[in-house]
Amino acid sequence: MFRIRFSFVLFTTFVLLLGAVVLAQDAPQPLGITEFEPCQPFDNVTVTVVGDAGHNLAPYDFWKDDFAAMGITIEIVEVPFADVYQKLKTEFVGQTGAFDVVTFYPAYIGDFASNGYLLPLDEFMAREPAAVWDPHQDDVLAPFRELYNKFGGQTYALTIDGDVLVLMYRQDLFDNADEQAAFKEKYGKDLMPPETWDDWLQVAEFFTRKAGDTLAGETLTEDFYGASEFAKRSFSYAWFMNRAASAGVVYFDENMNPRINEPGAVAGLQNMMDTLKFAPPDVLNSGYDELRDLFIQGRTAMVVQWTDVPKKAADPTQSKIAGKVGVGRVPGTEVNGEVVHRSMMPVGRVVAVAADSDVPEAAYCVAKHIAYNRSLEDVSTSLTGLDPYRQSHLDHPEAFAALMGEENAAAYLAGLNQALADGFPDIFIPGSAQYQDALDLEVNRALSGEITAQEALDNVAAKWNEITDTLGRENQVAVWQQALESYRALGLIE
Amino acid sequence: MALLFVLPAVLLLLSLTIYPLIRTLALSVVQLELSVSPNEKFVGLTNFIKVLTGDSRFWNAMGNTAVLVVVGVAIQLVLGMTLALMAQQMGRGRTIWVTLFLIPIMIAPVVSGFQFRVIFNDTFGPLNYIIEKLTNGVIQPPAWTANPDTSLLTIMMTDVWQWAPFMMLLILAGLESISPELLEAAKVDGANAWQLFWRIKLPLLMSVIIIGLLIRMMDTFKTFDLVVLLTNGGPGDSSETIAYYTYLNGFQFFSMGYTAAMAFIQLIVIIIISRVFLSIQKRQRGADE
Amino acid sequence: MKSNRTTLRIVIGLFLTVALVFFLFPVLWMFLTSFKTQDQIFASPPVIIPPRDQWNLDNYIGALTGSGGLQAVRDSLIVSISTALISVGVGSLAAYSLARYRLGGDQFSFWILSTRMFPPVASAIPLFLIFRQLKWIDTYWALILCNTIFNLPFAIWLLKGFIEDLPVELEESALIDGTSVFGAFWRITLPLISPGLVTALLFTFVFTWNEFMFALLMTRRAVRPLTVMIQSLAGGHEILWAQIAASGVIAIIPGILLVIFLQRYIVRGLTMGALKY
Repeated sequence: MFRIRFSFVLFTTFVLLLGAVVLAQDAPQPLGITEFEPCQPFDNVTVTVVGDAGHNLAPYDFWKDDFAAMGITIEIVEVPFADVYQKLKTEFVGQTGAFDVVTFYPAYIGDFASNGYLLPLDEFMAREPAAVWDPHQDDVLAPFRELYNKFGGQTYALTIDGDVLVLMYRQDLFDNADEQAAFKEKYGKDLMPPETWDDWLQVAEFFTRKAGDTLAGETLTEDFYGASEFAKRSFSYAWFMNRAASAGVVYFDENMNPRINEPGAVAGLQNMMDTLKFAPPDVLNSGYDELRDLFIQGRTAMVVQWTDVPKKAADPTQSKIAGKVGVGRVPGTEVNGEVVHRSMMPVGRVVAVAADSDVPEAAYCVAKHIAYNRSLEDVSTSLTGLDPYRQSHLDHPEAFAALMGEENAAAYLAGLNQALADGFPDIFIPGSAQYQDALDLEVNRALSGEITAQEALDNVAAKWNEITDTLGRENQVAVWQQALESYRALGLIE
Repeated sequence: MALLFVLPAVLLLLSLTIYPLIRTLALSVVQLELSVSPNEKFVGLTNFIKVLTGDSRFWNAMGNTAVLVVVGVAIQLVLGMTLALMAQQMGRGRTIWVTLFLIPIMIAPVVSGFQFRVIFNDTFGPLNYIIEKLTNGVIQPPAWTANPDTSLLTIMMTDVWQWAPFMMLLILAGLESISPELLEAAKVDGANAWQLFWRIKLPLLMSVIIIGLLIRMMDTFKTFDLVVLLTNGGPGDSSETIAYYTYLNGFQFFSMGYTAAMAFIQLIVIIIISRVFLSIQKRQRGADE
Repeated sequence: MKSNRTTLRIVIGLFLTVALVFFLFPVLWMFLTSFKTQDQIFASPPVIIPPRDQWNLDNYIGALTGSGGLQAVRDSLIVSISTALISVGVGSLAAYSLARYRLGGDQFSFWILSTRMFPPVASAIPLFLIFRQLKWIDTYWALILCNTIFNLPFAIWLLKGFIEDLPVELEESALIDGTSVFGAFWRITLPLISPGLVTALLFTFVFTWNEFMFALLMTRRAVRPLTVMIQSLAGGHEILWAQIAASGVIAIIPGILLVIFLQRYIVRGLTMGALKY
């Protein structure tokens, strides 16, 4: 019995000791660049905010004094990243009214807005004085504003995180004279960061070496790979769509007939399948973490990744290749003599006001404060994982200077600007989860060698038609045509 | 009195299962796509027909799950039995052994999933690193979770790792309650260790084994967390289990009618399997008495 | 004879040790991971043992304080202990009734078992709606009851097996001596099936401790069990591997203490079991 009590006491002491340690919470300093006026004080209202757990909810804590000045107390509900949709949808379906401000991934905006879970924000946005109410949507970069905030012509959400994919490559390898000469001899052209997906495949092949081979003058102790792909189930569709969209493929045509099995898309998938030959053996189960670490540990020459990876690759405490990283446009496809580039914008985050909120006005003030007033501070600190999404963010490299140095910041923002100009959206109409899952599954089956590219995409087209029929074709076509309007406004289609 | 004893359990179970059961039954004959609208449309048996005849993904997932349930649980039983018999021989020291073997059970799948994701990784993980070092590179192990041929196996191995100790403890508890006099008497009659096991111990262990198998089968049928954490059902659909596919339909697509039909079909399958098991046990008992 | 037995024990001990290496390697890996820095998680070749100067509690402190780990331990303990006690308490009564009086026959027992078979995805939303009506979402009750549905059948069936294997004569003689039915159950049956009770308690505790789906759906803020908190450490872009491992290490402590504590009753079952047959 003594032994038990002793271990119990030990454990309790351990827990108490840990509890006694108070961590100092950092917060970024106000920059004073963005001009705004806070909402007039409310009468001590509580606003419940829900979002994916972790550092992206930190801003509500950074600015709690601001909120206190507005008479608002924030209560945060943290949901694991992977379960946000499931959790929010269940609460919405159950009409619990538990949340005032909801954070979600914009792929679900069609679902949430069309089902009436969210409050249209246009009326708040137009209120006077503008310094208090206007979230300056014209400052938000067009793809985020047009595709991820609006539904049916109304604004339902405000972007707080701008995710887009960029190409990263080993600058030192591309600059190496021996490698350049070898490449020229083998392919008859200059070694350059890939402009098209065909170039990508060649460069990937070129840089793939076995342990014992020489790479840039050094003998390799481990195998080295030309490229890697996000080939794990979940986002493999986005890496495929980078290719398909650059070949001019949009998910559906005007009448919602799938365009996903057009020749351009099939060639794109084939290109991705071919790349796997030059990728590490784990590639079929590689997600964000594995891809990032394969690259920053110096095991791959090129990778397409989210825009926060360059920040990590530049950090010598995490990265073996700090100072050797180039960032560029995601490769493209030559269409009529001109190379078109498209970067997928998977995930991202928006905030919205729940339709059944008891305190919609205060909730809007909170959302606007995060999405505009303090957004520059939030995207330029290492304390969050939020990425820039406003022109005013890109115009202020000095805000990022503390994070990465002014020069790097300017280059980083310029790269981001370029990538966002190429931005191509996820499917965001109602049923997006189903459409996306069907696409991802078949792409993944093709990648794992189960079926051919053509078979996979034919399967997707058939499945998509089935989904559209189940969800109600007439309605789906109508919302899709609205979506195409935004595509057109952005110049993504003719 | 007997009724009074069983009443609390029945009330608890009834009050919490009757509504979900009726609701699911009602949903299984309607089409309810919550991603587009909260309106239900009666469709009769269409959902069931679609699941059974038109959904190859459902059958693939059922097949994968069957492998986990049949092969995985069988391994757990054999391993658990072996470990229990061995541990019992260890005299007073067995408590320490049992404690150590039970640790895997204490680790929630959400935790162990993350550990095994790294352990099975070809480039960064310790498993292949150690195998290659020990064999001096002669054996080149596969990229376990990234290979369609082994991805399901990784889920099975993780499940076995976690739950073989469960079988071990159940069987050990059963072994401990077998009367030593009975075994002594058998020994006096000249039974060897082999006969002792097959003729005396195994029949007496049957009830714990059956309940253990049933519980493990039911739970393995629900294998979900590990799939999400290790493979997301991939590569392709090589490790997609029925619980994961049902989850996608229910909590990602919110196709409530279809999910309900799928849930019922699963329920019927599990009921049939359990019935078969229990009738085997009953026959066994009948034969013994 | 004696030396024979010792040899046998050594051989078996060796086998068990080998088996133990396999079963404990992932646990050891988790423990080692809990002292790693983020860049050592995915290193090639892998970092098996973190450098000596890293053996500190940073990841433990981060998990417990930064992410609400203390609350999570408390919530999980409350939910798991309550579920285990309710399941075994209510379950042993029901098991007694089913075993001794064969109430409702096999069909009735099977119905009880079948409540564990239902796919949780299908029952989750109806249960959510029930608890919303009761205003029990984000309370301990919702989670305790959800877990009880799945654990009560297990407890009943396990204990039913144990009671059926007990000779009924002991209780009968007590009843003849004038003890009430409940008295016979309480004083005769329960002590005799203590290995079963202990096993049932242990596993209902563990099943609840490790449960994730209901923990996610039925809670928001006031209640936040360990599994949800740990899953929250896996963000979209930043999986806090070391903190997850540290939380995992913390999460096995109550379970291990419980096993150490309950072990004695399993062992005692050895002498009690002599009464069988």
